[in-house]
Amino acid sequence: MGSLSDIRVLEFASPYGGYAGKMFADLGADVIHIEPPEGDPTRFVWPFYKDKPDREGSLKYLYHNTSKRGMVLDITRPEGQEVFLELVKTADIVIEAFNPGFMESLSLGYEILKKVNPKIVYVSITPFGREGPYADFPGSNLTVSALAGWLYLAGTGNNKPALAYGEQAYMMAFCYAASGAMAAFYDAEATGEGQVVEISMQEAVVTACENACQYWDLEKIERRATEEIEAGRNVYECKDGYVSAMFSMGDNRYLWDPFWQWMKDEGRPDLAEIFGSEDFRGRAYRATDEAKQIFREKAEPFIKQFDKTYIYIETQKRRTVCYPVNDPKDVYENEQLNYRNYFKKLYHESLGGEVTYPGEVYYLEKMEWGLKPAPTFGQHTVEILKELGYADEQVGALKEGGVVIG
Amino acid sequence: MAKPILDGIVVCDFSWVGAGPITTQNLGMMGATIIHIETHKRPEILRMTPPFKDRKPGVERSGYFSPRNANKLGLSLDLSKPEAIEVVKRLLTISDIVINNFSFGVMDRWGLSYEDVKKIKPDIIYIEMPPQGRTGPHKDFMAFGALINALVGATFLTGHPDQKPSGTGTNYTDHVPVPGHLTFAIMAALRHRRKTGEGQFIELAQSQAGVNMVSAIPVMDYAVNGRIQQRMGNRHLELAPHNLYNCKGERNWIAIAVYNDQEWESLKKVMGNPEWANNPKFATNEGRKANEDELDAKIEEWTSAKWHRQLMDELVKEGVRAGVVHSCRDVTEDYNLVQRGFWTYLMHPEAGVALYNHSPMRMSKAPVLSTTPANMIGQHNQQVLRDLLKYTDEEIKEMEEKGVLN
Repeated sequence: MGSLSDIRVLEFASPYGGYAGKMFADLGADVIHIEPPEGDPTRFVWPFYKDKPDREGSLKYLYHNTSKRGMVLDITRPEGQEVFLELVKTADIVIEAFNPGFMESLSLGYEILKKVNPKIVYVSITPFGREGPYADFPGSNLTVSALAGWLYLAGTGNNKPALAYGEQAYMMAFCYAASGAMAAFYDAEATGEGQVVEISMQEAVVTACENACQYWDLEKIERRATEEIEAGRNVYECKDGYVSAMFSMGDNRYLWDPFWQWMKDEGRPDLAEIFGSEDFRGRAYRATDEAKQIFREKAEPFIKQFDKTYIYIETQKRRTVCYPVNDPKDVYENEQLNYRNYFKKLYHESLGGEVTYPGEVYYLEKMEWGLKPAPTFGQHTVEILKELGYADEQVGALKEGGVVIG
Repeated sequence: MAKPILDGIVVCDFSWVGAGPITTQNLGMMGATIIHIETHKRPEILRMTPPFKDRKPGVERSGYFSPRNANKLGLSLDLSKPEAIEVVKRLLTISDIVINNFSFGVMDRWGLSYEDVKKIKPDIIYIEMPPQGRTGPHKDFMAFGALINALVGATFLTGHPDQKPSGTGTNYTDHVPVPGHLTFAIMAALRHRRKTGEGQFIELAQSQAGVNMVSAIPVMDYAVNGRIQQRMGNRHLELAPHNLYNCKGERNWIAIAVYNDQEWESLKKVMGNPEWANNPKFATNEGRKANEDELDAKIEEWTSAKWHRQLMDELVKEGVRAGVVHSCRDVTEDYNLVQRGFWTYLMHPEAGVALYNHSPMRMSKAPVLSTTPANMIGQHNQQVLRDLLKYTDEEIKEMEEKGVLN
């Protein structure tokens, strides 16, 4: 009790990663990560543990596959398909990210699986959907982000956009895949009948476009990034990097007034006088080029003399907001995250060392969240086959034929 | 069509602005009854933020507010009045979930803390989503989505290397990282409740969802390898070419991502096998990556003379991962999304016909979509108070007179 330990998820390795399965596994579900004989493609991507290219050492593979069990199974072979169907009988959810039609071509599509297990929930993740004019388009994080409109927002004026870090098109698809899988499972338990959950990365990414599609719909404006719509709202240089400031927000004064009062506290009554003026306290003036220019000349040098942590703390003390633009080292050393023991270290026997992981996304009072190392190549193949009732000689034959590795 | 998955589930929704409303929208699209509690006295900030229908500001005209508040019932309550708190308490007796993203202490002051609510509804699922968690030195820090992006590394890691960090141009963590994980956690908690009869408390620290989703691997890379990853425009850690290229016209770019030598050959074919591309230094990914500046310049020379849409057609036909950088206008007209029925137009009493989207969780059996437009403040007072909470007409009238429903 108190976890998802009675749920079994079968997840096929994909070049996109395995974050949807991770969401289940870290809450205790039995997630079986199924790799092809050539290995999960993410095992071979940079960066590696101690910068040493190794099948067990890709940080992406390790991160996306925590708490799972691993099996190497060739489902393109009839014997492998039989094993997979045996697994499906014991499972609740199947997650795959193959090209549309691939599973059907192996006679492992949903229509077949549901005959074996009517409650099975079948999750398909594709770049543009299983059906539709783009169904057969080759996809990637970059091109999906582009075709979903999100990329366009990451830039101003006529400048070329910049892609969000971390393959977010895939990550967004995984969040919705896991949520949809959990919802369809909840339904299947009640009704006895599973269903297909279809996740199109393009559609998932469109939901990150904020209000931009509505800008077109309602005002016929093709919106881009909104930084510096007002003086006091932008990324500014500071002593040791950058800060992200939200001193201004429309006609609200609750963020702006503490900002110029802070200038006074720092011994700059001259600046406080300028920015505390009636003009500067309203949105209309702050949005003018003149106001932005004054801000650049007077306020930016003020900000630049402090380091980002100092600014962060001092502005919070005064109930206005200016956050540090943290780099990965800053995130790792963040006082708040460390107070909460957020980062977790796991020892990996296969690497002979410890890897640090981000910890809990959420705390659920009645459910246990925890991390275990990702499986090594074929680590649980034999164990899983035995659980399915395969005898030693059958396991041996499957191994010898190269249908399974473990 | 089968019944929606969350048919019969009631959500008492105090959430506002970004991550909370998108989470409850996910639940509402799955059929939950979302009682969206607001007040006329202090409409939330998005209701007063553009775009507006016909560019005319108004609390019921914002296209920032509307798409994330489809499928909700509007109940207006002035929570400074004890009678309003009594209405909430009656609502809680029929609620399954209560969610808020207020600052600390607000719910406590109203006598609506988890401990209080549990006494009214012992199996309640109670959700808080503090920016940085309920414990620790920064637990009271104010934040907005854009600032959480800065805190977790998304801003630093996104942008062009020769420019200051830009981030995604949106309040990204609000849109998918937080609601995507929280929807999963809520579904897990609902399932736990059905199995055990227990409700529970859920805390989602927005910063932690952000690190998990955006900066996990760079933080791990720093922890084990001491490397601080940097923003890299539209390039990929390992692959080349992988970038945006100028095309004919203004703000017309094409995204091209080549994952292997075969795709490079296909790209060469579409380019007409120019002599430069046959230089052996571009023959392998390693060579292409090492000569990326030159490679990108050559490709852009070629794309600059082409129309981006035509180019995409030619490239995808040959199996090259290519995509036009769509503006959000293009996205609302995107052939794939339109054909798949992703967009829908709903009639709002004040804003008229406006754009809404389908959920990216598409299910074969259960509908998951926008069926009713954003609620107006207090639009469904009668329905909620009389039909759901069984107040008499007289009682409702009295509440109106006392200003409880303001």
